[in-house]
Amino acid sequence: MMNSRQTLTGAQGNNGSYKWLGIALVRALIVILCVMTAVFFLIRIVPGDPAKMILGEYSTPEALKNMHHTLGLDLPLWEQFVRFMKTLFTQGDTGNSIIMGTSARELIMQRAPITLLLILIACVLAIITALLLATVAATHKDKLLDHLIRIFPAITLGMPIFWVGILLILLFSVRLGWFPVGGVGEGFTGTLRSLALPAITVAFSQIPTLVRSLRAQMLEVLESDFVVTLRAAGIPSRVILFKHVLRNSALPTLMLLGVNISYLIGGTLVVEQVFGIKGIGSLLFTSISNRDFPVIQGIALYCALSVVIISLLIEIISWWLDPRTKGKQ
Amino acid sequence: MTKLKATFRKTIGMGTLTVMFVVLLAGCSGSNNNADTSNGAQASASPAATESTSTAEPSAGGTFTYGRPASVTSFDLHNQITSNNAFAIDKVFESLVAFDSKGEIKDFLAQSHTISEDGLTYTFVLRDGLKFSNGTPVTAEDAVFSLNRHLTVEGPLAISATVESFKAQDDKTLVIKLKEPYTPFISELSNFSNGIIPNNFGGVSEEEFFKKPVGTGPFVVETWDPAGDVTFTKNTNYWQEGKPYIDKLVYKLIEDDSQAINQLKAGEVDAVEALSLQNAGEIKDGTDTTVVTNGSWVTEQLFFNTLDEHFSDVHVRRALALALDRDGLTKALTFGYAQTANSLLPTTIPYNANDTLKSLNFDAAAAKEELAKSAFPNGFSTKLLIASGNSTRAQEAQIIQAAGQAIGIKIEIESVELATFRERFFAYDFAAMLNSGQADSPEANSILAFQTDPEGFSKSYWTHYTNDNVTKLLYEGQKTPDGDARAAIYTELLQTLADEVPYIPLYYPDILIGARSSVEGLVVLPNGSIRLEDVRVSK
Repeated sequence: MMNSRQTLTGAQGNNGSYKWLGIALVRALIVILCVMTAVFFLIRIVPGDPAKMILGEYSTPEALKNMHHTLGLDLPLWEQFVRFMKTLFTQGDTGNSIIMGTSARELIMQRAPITLLLILIACVLAIITALLLATVAATHKDKLLDHLIRIFPAITLGMPIFWVGILLILLFSVRLGWFPVGGVGEGFTGTLRSLALPAITVAFSQIPTLVRSLRAQMLEVLESDFVVTLRAAGIPSRVILFKHVLRNSALPTLMLLGVNISYLIGGTLVVEQVFGIKGIGSLLFTSISNRDFPVIQGIALYCALSVVIISLLIEIISWWLDPRTKGKQ
Repeated sequence: MTKLKATFRKTIGMGTLTVMFVVLLAGCSGSNNNADTSNGAQASASPAATESTSTAEPSAGGTFTYGRPASVTSFDLHNQITSNNAFAIDKVFESLVAFDSKGEIKDFLAQSHTISEDGLTYTFVLRDGLKFSNGTPVTAEDAVFSLNRHLTVEGPLAISATVESFKAQDDKTLVIKLKEPYTPFISELSNFSNGIIPNNFGGVSEEEFFKKPVGTGPFVVETWDPAGDVTFTKNTNYWQEGKPYIDKLVYKLIEDDSQAINQLKAGEVDAVEALSLQNAGEIKDGTDTTVVTNGSWVTEQLFFNTLDEHFSDVHVRRALALALDRDGLTKALTFGYAQTANSLLPTTIPYNANDTLKSLNFDAAAAKEELAKSAFPNGFSTKLLIASGNSTRAQEAQIIQAAGQAIGIKIEIESVELATFRERFFAYDFAAMLNSGQADSPEANSILAFQTDPEGFSKSYWTHYTNDNVTKLLYEGQKTPDGDARAAIYTELLQTLADEVPYIPLYYPDILIGARSSVEGLVVLPNGSIRLEDVRVSK
């Protein structure tokens, strides 16, 4: 409590903000380094030889030896690690793809737009749906609608995301033919049509927790003193709801979305596979089956970066919305 | 301190989450692999233009979209072996001779060929008016350059004959001289890896060339994403006049099995490669879909490590072979898309001796007697290694487990991820395993050299089976010209294998391609590739 009181009174001032930002950045850097180190060693523990993937499993031992040398895989592990870290810091890249020869960063950048678009649409869908459902539930507390909405998370939380995707494909694409089964269509509308079902699938995995959190927050605010006061002052309930209650309940939900971001990215990558979308997810799957180390490391790097940056942004936004939250997450 | 602790906790938390996620995906990817890829080498070649399925006047034009489980990563024909690349390379490059859907060798870019009596000189005469896709004429020098490069590169489907020289006698005549006779040579020349490329890569660098390859095949690469799709356009200089009928060919990467099936059902692709046996019925019975099929060059087998304490005993191997009802297993698992195997060689390969061979057929009493003759008359416990993610193999393993149980052999099934599976059997780290063998060309030697030569690269397919007479017969078979004498050699060899069972041939699976009913003229080759010169799509 000491901290929040100090923040409120501005005791920490700008120095405090810089210090907080500094800590956050150092923390982000540590996360990235740990992730890169762990991924580097873990994928090397998993059996499977990239040289064999290139030359085929019946390649001669000499050819394999030469390929190991070309790829630098004959060096001691620590030396490979030092090289890897050097490339990471000097070039900001994880090296060239073993299978495709091109820079891992380039490959990832080619695939990133579609994945980002999918995440964006899914987030927007999830937030809008969650807001609607939570508002209805909170304003109909303990009535039938509220119960129905509360059962929804209980059921959907247990559904595997890929299974939801397959069900949607079977119904809306194969049976009804409303949406494409997979891939990404051409043009703006084509792309949106192709991304509709995958985005719904990803959003589906986020909605239950968001609804649960938002409903609880809204109920708390609805029952708080200041709302009672507003009501007593004769402010219309619609104004109270949208202007005061929602705004005050949004923060924890936003934070929750931030915390969920790694699950969201993970879910998106899996959903890409189910819907045959050639984004980061499909690149990751291909690279893992090919043991294409630089690309796997690259994707891990960018995923970690996204998680860290988004968490940081959420922290900053939360702090801006409510200064009491600084350093409290 | 509390703040520091919280920071530390959060740092660890976020890092762990990301790492867990990547590792989890790495774990999942195993089951996503088509475990079938641990077959013997896969090869392909453009087929002879003989067996179009329709005689109606074709309607030209349109696009044919083919769903495939893996992307094309390279067009370097001399350095590749796996089907993802082979079946794209064979659309761009063609060889002097080619095999058709029955596996028969026919002249292709060559209009004729002769083999000297002593089996040492091969003379090929090229077709008139042959052109590469860029319009340059094809000469014998191009063939010399291509074959020489293949010899130098020593790729995974290397030329196994001992070549003395490749020589262009004139623009149209190529003469190949061998140091010693090697009968499988003509058949091996039909491999996609012996396709003809322009002399000196047509003046560009090697790297440039294989990024935008120029060949004589029916299709030309238009756009290519090594981690995604390939788009081909029709080669307007193609030597088979009027062909191919389609204007555009798209190889669409669909890694997920159910996604591929659904895209086929919804008509987003015209056909899908490597349809699994489990899905065949659904596609065959579909209103708009059908299954196009052909016999393959594959033999599904149960392999024994003959260095293993139990399976080094021939009586143990024979006992298990007798205990296993191969007919029942085939019927139960392959939905009518396979034949029970009686010899190591599939019926699609000459000299397979399937009809005459006396193999060990299901006989429970004889199995027990056989085990009684072994060093383990009361049975023993062992392990069976399989690659995860292939449900047919998992079921096979259970049937084998039950067969072993019946005679007192307790079999534990060990299911591991594909890459681990390969590492294990390459290191002889298995007692028994389920896998398949595949010929690269319609040649008995193709499977036999791989599975019976203990000194060869694969050490008798990592079974380390060693029988001097078998090895002697293998080398004799390579030198004996085609005919009765060669047949006799292979029959004797196969009978020895059937008696000593270093591997139990289980069945010969068919190749299944799922297609839209609107597709006509699609020909499935025994190596798993398809021929598209004659394909038409009515939309």
